[in-house]
Amino acid sequence: MTGLKAALTLDEFEIPSVIVEKSGELGGKVRGYGKTFPDFRSGRALVSGLVKRVDSTGMIRVLRNCTVSGIRTEGDHYRVRLSDGTSLDAHAVILAFGFEPFDATRQEEYGYGVCPNVIAAPELEALLDPLGPTKGRLLRPSDGKPVRKAAIIFCVGSRSKRTDSPYCSRICCSYSTKQAIEIKESDPDAQVVCFYMDIRTYGRGFEEMHQYAREIGVKYIRGRVSECCALPDGDILVRAENTLLGKPVQGVFDLVSLSVGMTPSPDTSSLAEMLGIELGTDGFFISADGGLSPHDTGREGIFLAGAVTGLKPIRDCILEGTSAGGRAAAYLRRRRA
Amino acid sequence: MPEDRTAVVDDSSRMLEKALRDLSMQYYSLDRCHQCGICTEACPHTNLRKAERFSPRVFIQKARLGLIDLAGGELWRCTTCGSCLQVCPYEVPLVDIIVSLRNLVFEQGAGYVPPSFKAVLASLAASGNPWREDPDKRADWFEELAPQGESRPEAPEILLFAGCFPSYDRRGRSIARAAVQILREAGIGFDILGNEEKCCGDSALKIGDMKTFERLRKANLEAFSGRHAERIYTLAPHCSHVMKTRYAFGRDNGTAAKPFLLLLHELVVEGRLPLGEVKRARAVFHDPCYLGKYEGITEEPREILARIPGLETAEMAHHGKRSLCCGAGGGGFWLDTLKGERLAEIRLDEAVEAGADLLVTACPYCLAMFEASRASDNRWAGLEILDIGELVLRSLSDKPGM
Ligand SMILES: Cc1cc2nc3c(=O)[nH]c(=O)nc-3n(C[C@H](O)[C@H](O)[C@H](O)COP(=O)(O)OP(=O)(O)OC[C@H]3O[C@@H](n4cnc5c(N)ncnc54)[C@H](O)[C@@H]3O)c2cc1C
Ligand code: SF4
Ligand code: SF4
Ligand code: SF4
Repeated sequence: MTGLKAALTLDEFEIPSVIVEKSGELGGKVRGYGKTFPDFRSGRALVSGLVKRVDSTGMIRVLRNCTVSGIRTEGDHYRVRLSDGTSLDAHAVILAFGFEPFDATRQEEYGYGVCPNVIAAPELEALLDPLGPTKGRLLRPSDGKPVRKAAIIFCVGSRSKRTDSPYCSRICCSYSTKQAIEIKESDPDAQVVCFYMDIRTYGRGFEEMHQYAREIGVKYIRGRVSECCALPDGDILVRAENTLLGKPVQGVFDLVSLSVGMTPSPDTSSLAEMLGIELGTDGFFISADGGLSPHDTGREGIFLAGAVTGLKPIRDCILEGTSAGGRAAAYLRRRRA
Repeated sequence: MPEDRTAVVDDSSRMLEKALRDLSMQYYSLDRCHQCGICTEACPHTNLRKAERFSPRVFIQKARLGLIDLAGGELWRCTTCGSCLQVCPYEVPLVDIIVSLRNLVFEQGAGYVPPSFKAVLASLAASGNPWREDPDKRADWFEELAPQGESRPEAPEILLFAGCFPSYDRRGRSIARAAVQILREAGIGFDILGNEEKCCGDSALKIGDMKTFERLRKANLEAFSGRHAERIYTLAPHCSHVMKTRYAFGRDNGTAAKPFLLLLHELVVEGRLPLGEVKRARAVFHDPCYLGKYEGITEEPREILARIPGLETAEMAHHGKRSLCCGAGGGGFWLDTLKGERLAEIRLDEAVEAGADLLVTACPYCLAMFEASRASDNRWAGLEILDIGELVLRSLSDKPGM
């Protein structure tokens, strides 16, 4: 998402660019979202709109199934070595290779990877997607039974020193609430229970979405879930303390979704080392000047955008793609002068 | 009259925090807690079937508002089992907080201390054991076992620290005797502190009586200093843990205290103990808190059980690092707890539910708690309770001295 937007912005300045995409398709994670918060627009449509524009300008070259294997300075530019053995020259590089969802197997007590009906949020996204494997019907993995009772567990792999991710991932409260609404709207009799620590639906329209969720009957229980156990019929028993009541509670659900947080992309540290630029203690890139130059790094001509500097929703990624493209254009113009 | 709301805004929590900080063993902060409640879920007390249960989350919240009722029993419920420490996402040092608060109450005489604790602490201070037993009879169990005229080895490989319950209690002595017979069978030269041994001080420390703890620590260190004591093995994991964390040897002279279970495991795995068939039984292992949760030793006891022919093994609902406390830690051993409210009962029920007829553990205090509770109700009558050393001894085809 972020990278596409940056390339299109450079295009507006009539600056040619190359998108190096590791996977077979452009658009990143957003390509896989049927609906996105806060306005329930299709993520796929958002991406395909951008991709169409990328394809129609003659200025953007796209390399799919390709990554960067080395970068070094050569004269007045960078020589970028690619995984396919070729290389290309660039006067500026924008890093927009995103994030990685938290690996839920690391939180063993939730049974992810062991109980088939405990899934992670990206999988729930796919199950809710009208173009996904179940055509948008929420059927649970073990036996294809329609889900009538779903639990969503917030803050999995976020806000925990135990998993070395003390930070709040910012978007999981909102995407979980969006998912809960989708379940509830497609089946008003379905029961959806969210176990949360705090509700952080902080952006424009996000909190309104949360209030709407409550109005249509999504239940919120304050308490961090202690464990999920699989029952013989595939149902999942979830235990937590309802901290507002001060009482232990448990419930049996057809399906449990873990709202995983964001972690740095696995390529972050190798690229940081390759380029000699700085990472924060949380493992994400940090920008120069104590944040006053949000896209700049310690290396001239290397810029940051999107989820590589931490956790943000699509709207912020679009903003960052735009401003990083503009920042790079300004840098290139000054260089030429 | 309007409702009294002063407690919420006054300074008592800050005073408490400061007092705690002065006393605390390490940095701590009550305000690190986000009230998520996962500790309460992990706490063994939550599994008790009664309305008013101890909750660590509520405890923290009350502590920061200065609302802990020091005249009540709440402060003394925690067994320092460490379950909460395993799960807290913010690494709130709950056990240190509770122990520090107890220390505050104890030293300043500023609140209720269970009467049974007072008697135990007085005895620990005076006789080095909790029951006012004669210190000169501490090693009687060993003398009775020693073949006439046997002299102690000059350079023993290890030093065996028996602890109070195995030294004085009838049931406990069987654990100590089993250890000695196993060491002899394996041909390990060992020594004991004998009558110079004192209580390791774990209970006193966790109850918050630092003075008594210090006295015991010094006495034991003095006794150790006269011995070949590079490798100390203790029958209770409480003793080795308190030595490791609080005795501060090791740094200068290489002395290390470990649970006896580790030595047992070594001997079994190396094939130095010829294990023979035991009576058919379905066994579960109860992980003692100071072995499983504090030391992370959960595989070793299971490996031992797996090598005993004739034994079938199963697991209780809570096991390994997620095991639940028997109720003995943190002074719980000395509390008078009503039948139906004892943590040990949860474990006995879980053992029965797992279809076990043999409950094995590796801590004399767990064993004592289980034995005491089992006697209180018929539903556990079919369950035998053994220390893992006793079980290994039973399995030794050629039982020395028997
Ligand atoms: C389950 C879930 C649901 C969400 N739902 C919403 C929502 O409804 N609304 C919302 O606003 N936000 C949502 N988000 C957040 C959203 O996913 C992010 O804001 C967005 O994906 C970030 O875009 P990005 O382009 O920075 O990174 P990414 O989407 O991660 O894209 C990175 C791109 O870089 C490529 N790449 C990775 N490594 C390399 C490499 N070494 N070389 C070359 N290419 C590489 C990847 O293949 C990918 O195409 C959700 C997040 C999750 C986890
Ligand atoms: S956004 Fe919500 S679910 Fe995600 S880490 Fe923050 S508080 Fe937890
Ligand atoms: S140490 Fe054990 S008993 Fe004490 S609060 Fe924590 S979980 Fe509960
Ligand atoms: S687990 Fe930690 S943060 Fe959560 S309520 Fe308990 S002490 Fe507080």
